[in-house]
Amino acid sequence: MKALKFNPVVLILINIIAPSMYILINGKYLMTYLLIFSVGMMFLMGRYKRIIALLAVFFGMIGIHYLTMGSDKLKWIGLFFIIMAQSVPCFALASVLISKYTSAELLSALESLRIPRILVVAVTITIKYIPTFRREFGYIKESMRLRGIRFTMKKPLRSFRYFIVPQLFRCAALAEEITSAGLVKGIDAPCRRTSFYQERMRWYDIAVMIIFMTGIIGGLVWKAT
Amino acid sequence: MEGNMIHSDHLTFTYKDSKEGIYDVNFTVKPGELVLLTGDSGCGKSTLLKCLNGLIPETVEGDMSGDLYLEEERYSGMKMTDLNKKIGSVFQNPRSQFFTDNTTAELVFPMENYGFSKERMEETLQKLSKEFQLDGLLNRDVFSLSSGERQMIALASSVTMQQKVLLFDEPSANLDYGNAIRLGKIIQKLKNRGYSIIVADHRFYYLNGIIDKVLFMENGKMSVYDGEESFQKSGYNTRSFDIFSLTIPFVFEGKEEEKIASLEQVFYKDILRDINLELYRGEITVLVGANGAGKTTLAKLLCESIKPDRGKVRSVGLPFFIMQDPDYQLFGTSVINELTLVKNDPEQIKGVIEKMGLYPYRNSHPFDLSGGQKQRLQICMALLCDRPLILFDEPTSGLDIGSMQRVAGQIKELKHNSGVLVISHDYEFIRNVADRVVYLKEGRIEKDFRSARETLADLNKIFIDMQEEKNYEKNED
Repeated sequence: MKALKFNPVVLILINIIAPSMYILINGKYLMTYLLIFSVGMMFLMGRYKRIIALLAVFFGMIGIHYLTMGSDKLKWIGLFFIIMAQSVPCFALASVLISKYTSAELLSALESLRIPRILVVAVTITIKYIPTFRREFGYIKESMRLRGIRFTMKKPLRSFRYFIVPQLFRCAALAEEITSAGLVKGIDAPCRRTSFYQERMRWYDIAVMIIFMTGIIGGLVWKAT
Repeated sequence: MEGNMIHSDHLTFTYKDSKEGIYDVNFTVKPGELVLLTGDSGCGKSTLLKCLNGLIPETVEGDMSGDLYLEEERYSGMKMTDLNKKIGSVFQNPRSQFFTDNTTAELVFPMENYGFSKERMEETLQKLSKEFQLDGLLNRDVFSLSSGERQMIALASSVTMQQKVLLFDEPSANLDYGNAIRLGKIIQKLKNRGYSIIVADHRFYYLNGIIDKVLFMENGKMSVYDGEESFQKSGYNTRSFDIFSLTIPFVFEGKEEEKIASLEQVFYKDILRDINLELYRGEITVLVGANGAGKTTLAKLLCESIKPDRGKVRSVGLPFFIMQDPDYQLFGTSVINELTLVKNDPEQIKGVIEKMGLYPYRNSHPFDLSGGQKQRLQICMALLCDRPLILFDEPTSGLDIGSMQRVAGQIKELKHNSGVLVISHDYEFIRNVADRVVYLKEGRIEKDFRSARETLADLNKIFIDMQEEKNYEKNED
């Protein structure tokens, strides 16, 4: 089966709507529904390894929840993990959005939602900073190893500082660089921005949105009754 | 003023709360002229470029006076978005050049911002692809490209709006000799096509014979020379026009001492093949080779960051690796604290920072130091670390000639206690520092020789070989 590439707008909308529904819908229902839905969606996208990772993390967390709920002393750990498990399906879909779509595709998708450009640029840069962060984090970790500086739980604050301080300075430098790169290429041009990547919604984008919304509305109706 | 593409009239800019900046800068650039902007680090080159592409005053605070004109139109009357339709910028750092992470997305990015139709974007993309030979480079992750390829994408994306002026900020800093010469040829082609080009750089051998005007900056003030010849008479060190004519004494004075690291019949993926190399205490070995030849992979093997697929890597201790970007290597809260993390010996630390001129900054935060000071701090760490082998990755990238010579002197200090392996493509630096040269070509050690008068021709041949390799690649395209 050929893997489908959904319009990024669909993934963005799902990630905006799904987490906010925990306020209105039964938690267990929504968690189960989102798990099945995200596994199905990633299957259609051909992201099989990510499905295994998602299921392993999700059921690992649920397992910890059940193991610790029996003990009054450890109950808080179980509660923490069940809350975390609720967000795992959305994180899985968001990770696909970050890794499989270019920043240009994200920029176009967000623009089509008629969000102000300044917000669009900020969100795009934030999303695309995650892989950069991972890469820079790797350099810092390697550099610590070569300098003989170890992360030790005996001095957690100091160890954390070694990780975070260079990262913060890099972040500030990167912000300045990326602003300049955007400005000299007309990011703030007053005309309406066009897109090389903008794709129309296809039938499967609409179908998946209908399925998603049916599940959400179903949950709302179920709670109301 | 008539007929000028750019005209600077008594331009002055000083940064907020600082005396640094540029003062009373006057010059003109005509259509089709190639202008070299040079001077030592911190002389004001980047400030002037930022004034020219509008980043000053748009993103930098400070006081500005005087005027800049683009085709007789005053800058102050133009918006930055109008300015950048006519002026393309190629930044120094490849990382800061790109707004997106995909090559095609990067090329169409300015056109999207200026509202081009998809058809027009496709047409321009095709044209650029043909002009800059980008066939194999489209739709790729920018981080998977080599420095030379990235430079090509940066250059192509700066002319997508059919700009008339091109600004380059140290374009050769991350390029090997062959790629730099290739860049020089492309710049010449663009000049012939009528672009006005300003190249800010410390090294200019790749522009030999095509420069129309030299803008030389010193402490924020500018002197203008009409061409290379008059600049060469100026008294500034212009030897980089012809790097092969340098007369530098050969430095090897010691003898091979204790063996500190070796690679024996090492293979790694399809990057390194049958590598045999021995490194000794008291010796500075320079590893040369084109971008992508496997130099960094070899350094990673020595640092045990990666393991070889076949063969043995032996070392008497973990090497100390000085990265090109010092920001990844600084963890302390002050210069002294940073060095204490290496060795808790206050007396020795004091001695080392005095030697490297960092004593006045001993209590400063490492991130508050300038680029050159950070590099000296890295060398202080290397002097204190008592490791048998010190590795450097392109230590002179982006340095002016004076700074490069200082770094060479500091690296020589290190060989008294350790062996040193330096990755470099800077010919002049290699001549200043190398006891031994190892040439890596397509993953194999092609040559390994002592740097001496008798082997100078071999070293020169390596650089010519790297240039020819690029010419051949280009013809293959």
